[in-house]
Amino acid sequence: MIAIAIDTPSGAARSFDDAAAAQMERIVTDLGRVYQERNEALREVARAHHEALLRLSLAADMRDDDTGVHITRIGHLAEALALALGESKDFARELRLAAPMHDIGKIGVPDAVLLKPGKLTNDEWVEMRKHPDIGFNMIQPIPFLSVPATIVLSHQERWDGQGYPRKLKHHEIHIGARIFAVADTLDAMTSDRPYRKGTTFSNAVAEITRCGGSQFDPEVVKAFNSIGEVGLIRIKEDMMARRKAREASQMTPSHGLPAVAPLPDPDPDKNKN
Amino acid sequence: MRKILIVDDHVDIRRLIRMTLEFESYEIFEAEDGATALLLAEAVRPDLVLLDVMMPGELDGLDVCRQLKSDPMLLNPRVIMLSARGQAQDCSAGQQAGADAYLVKPFSPLQLIDVIGQQWEHA
Repeated sequence: MIAIAIDTPSGAARSFDDAAAAQMERIVTDLGRVYQERNEALREVARAHHEALLRLSLAADMRDDDTGVHITRIGHLAEALALALGESKDFARELRLAAPMHDIGKIGVPDAVLLKPGKLTNDEWVEMRKHPDIGFNMIQPIPFLSVPATIVLSHQERWDGQGYPRKLKHHEIHIGARIFAVADTLDAMTSDRPYRKGTTFSNAVAEITRCGGSQFDPEVVKAFNSIGEVGLIRIKEDMMARRKAREASQMTPSHGLPAVAPLPDPDPDKNKN
Repeated sequence: MRKILIVDDHVDIRRLIRMTLEFESYEIFEAEDGATALLLAEAVRPDLVLLDVMMPGELDGLDVCRQLKSDPMLLNPRVIMLSARGQAQDCSAGQQAGADAYLVKPFSPLQLIDVIGQQWEHA
């Protein structure tokens, strides 16, 4: 007899002999192997899932932004904002992964409207404002995408209820979408467009701050300011550096789509249970 | 549902094997010695027998294997020998007794599941 004992339901400890103990060790070894293989398989599936969504999102986004950088960048901004607001790491990561999809509904907006260089007519605006609903209907049936679907639907809503498509107000708007609105605006303002140069970070930060309480959730704006201009620029630089590193380490994809920021491994802590 | 008879004098080993195979939805029977195993085999006609080589009593695993394989009442069950000894002579003795496969204890449960799966392919 050896000293492996377990408590039985009757409360009496009982021991196992060498043969049984050795067999149990093998079972535990196998269990560990299966567990590792399962986690690896889940990671692979998650990676494939995100990669597929990202590529689809890029297909939509590249019609009006030929780099695909915008959608990656706002994901990182949204993640940083969520963390600054005290949201969980899981939620912040989910926001980052949702970022590429936020404008996927633009795939249903005609070129004549989406790519029009000048001002849109009223009718054209009606077309343009369908994109959240189009995107929501695309994403919503996909498993695990309820938060991204909500963001797709409501990222054009405004804190004061003057947004679209539902004219939601204040906390009726999902926190993810409220965060997103700020990230999206910052990136849009500081990026160059064919018809205008991007403004400076300082200007964009001042403008977003001014719109806290009207266009944006004041709490999100507060968190945004707490990150500070230096922090924001660092987020942007980190993202670009990671992107470059990935491009350098990988061959250019043969399909001609741009390389994008690396997808994270699902949080290893999450697999501990 | 396929029937598997576990023959081992260690109740803990029988129980561990039963737990290992429960995932695979087999109907499991247990015997603690060779004589009981043969009686039970005639009663339930298992598709496969997991058979410990070293058992107390008149019949060891090799004897049981020979009888299982030659009994016309039993539709030639597949036999996997289990032995604590990993010697080549044990393995060949098992083969000569008609065993279909041979595993050394302690065995990997995953390997056991695989080996059992292979038996159905050959059947």
